[in-house]
Amino acid sequence: MEYLMYEQIERYLAGRMVAEEKAAFEALLQTDRRLAEQVKEHRTLLQAMQQYGQREHLRSKLNKIHNQMETEQTGQQVTPMWRVFWKRHAQTIAVAASVSLLSVFGTLWSVQQMKAPVQQQTARYVELRREVDKLKRAQTAIIKDINNTAKPAPRPARFSGTGFALSASGYLVTSSHVVEGADSIMIENTSGVKYKVHEVYRDQSHDLSILKIEDPAFAGFGKLPYTFKTAESDLGEKVYTLGYPREDVVFGEGSLSSTSGFEGDTTAYQISIPLNPGNSGGPLLDDKGNLIGVISGKQAGQEGAAFAIKSAYLLQIISELPQATTLSPVTLPKYNVLAGNSRPQQLKKLKDFVFVVKVYN
Amino acid sequence: MKKGLYETDEAIIEGIRSDDDRALAYLYKLHFPMISHLILSNSGTDDEAKDVYQEGVIVFYEKVKSGSLELSCQIKTYLYSVCRRLWLKRLAEKGRFAVNVDDAENYLMLEDDVPQQEENERRFGVMEEAMNQLGEPCKTLLEDYYIRMQNMQDITDRFGYTNTDTAKNQKYKCLQRLKKLFFATYQAPA
Repeated sequence: MEYLMYEQIERYLAGRMVAEEKAAFEALLQTDRRLAEQVKEHRTLLQAMQQYGQREHLRSKLNKIHNQMETEQTGQQVTPMWRVFWKRHAQTIAVAASVSLLSVFGTLWSVQQMKAPVQQQTARYVELRREVDKLKRAQTAIIKDINNTAKPAPRPARFSGTGFALSASGYLVTSSHVVEGADSIMIENTSGVKYKVHEVYRDQSHDLSILKIEDPAFAGFGKLPYTFKTAESDLGEKVYTLGYPREDVVFGEGSLSSTSGFEGDTTAYQISIPLNPGNSGGPLLDDKGNLIGVISGKQAGQEGAAFAIKSAYLLQIISELPQATTLSPVTLPKYNVLAGNSRPQQLKKLKDFVFVVKVYN
Repeated sequence: MKKGLYETDEAIIEGIRSDDDRALAYLYKLHFPMISHLILSNSGTDDEAKDVYQEGVIVFYEKVKSGSLELSCQIKTYLYSVCRRLWLKRLAEKGRFAVNVDDAENYLMLEDDVPQQEENERRFGVMEEAMNQLGEPCKTLLEDYYIRMQNMQDITDRFGYTNTDTAKNQKYKCLQRLKKLFFATYQAPA
């Protein structure tokens, strides 16, 4: 009955021996090395078996949980592969994406930068209407107001340009962009003559406006010194103008540099006279004192490229005037008294017929 | 299963300690995706992921049960570290050396636990092998008595032995064979 021995060992290991039996067994263990060895082995075996059992049990439990989890998840996890791929490479993709974005926008930006000066050169047309320094005017107006509270301060003009006489009967011409949106218009020349005028006719396409003096005190201009040229002027002809880019009249001289205007506009000349805001509407005359055009604008960013409407179109609208309005036809001057005079002499005769046009609104 | 019940690691450990299967199930489901991702992104399959993860959970479970767990980090990190080590070992056994693992998580080296864990694994492996070689009815007999702790009388009745002495004798013979098989490959650590 060998198994009795095993039972004894198991009882000892499980701690089920009573005190005397245990003492006797332990005493035996001290002397019998084979028994001691067997006990040790048995203990290891039992432990291993228990662990095995436990693990098997646990594993079956985990398998159950796993199966349960898989049935819960079927349908949910359709394609985990791309997610795995994404998680692995997300950083790389992000860096690549930002680099490409940066280079795309960087290139766009630098191309834009290179194009910018080119764009500046592409023409921009500037109308030479002068915007009067509002702040300064307003300030002096206030000071005047303090000194003399009884009178309301006169309103300063918003814009100014230049105009010149068409006939002795009080017709003038200026650029229509000067008198655009005007409430009232005043003209004044260097000798201090001042009249209230109103716009009687406008040709928007040629940027010309006909003004008429409505002052009852106006008695006529007298004889106009210049005549109007109907034919086209030649390239390289010496031309000059008078205008009011500031408070006083300013003379400007140059040549006729092209027989077409801004962007090939055939109704205008290109002239090489330095012009400033306020010159719009000024007369353009040639050496002999023929009026050949009306100053209208210049090209932004380019020096010496100014434009004037050809006199032929001015004459055209003057002839349209009686049909368009109820006014009597304008009698244009017939005799040119400027020809043959020196430039200062010409200007002396001319300047009384060139006015600053002040626009109020 | 109420999720709120096991929100903290402590609650989970406490649940496992008190044999709460729901705590175990919760833990298992919570961290499986992480390990699955680790294995799948390092040239493993779904089945391998499951195996490695279960081994990791078993290690954790045994540690909790034996009371030797001193967790200085989250359970998540612990499981990840254990499974990472197990997977590297498996790769080495397959002859494929992973130069570096793409880690999506932090991990610990856990050097202290390694000898104990490996010993446990080895002992389990040997015992499993021995049990499988033992054959029936010895395997069931021993399992019933030593693992499922059934008494000798029930076993006698179920296996159809004439009396408990015959059964005990049979059990003795089985145990003797198991011992031979087991100690043939197993060397207790010095």
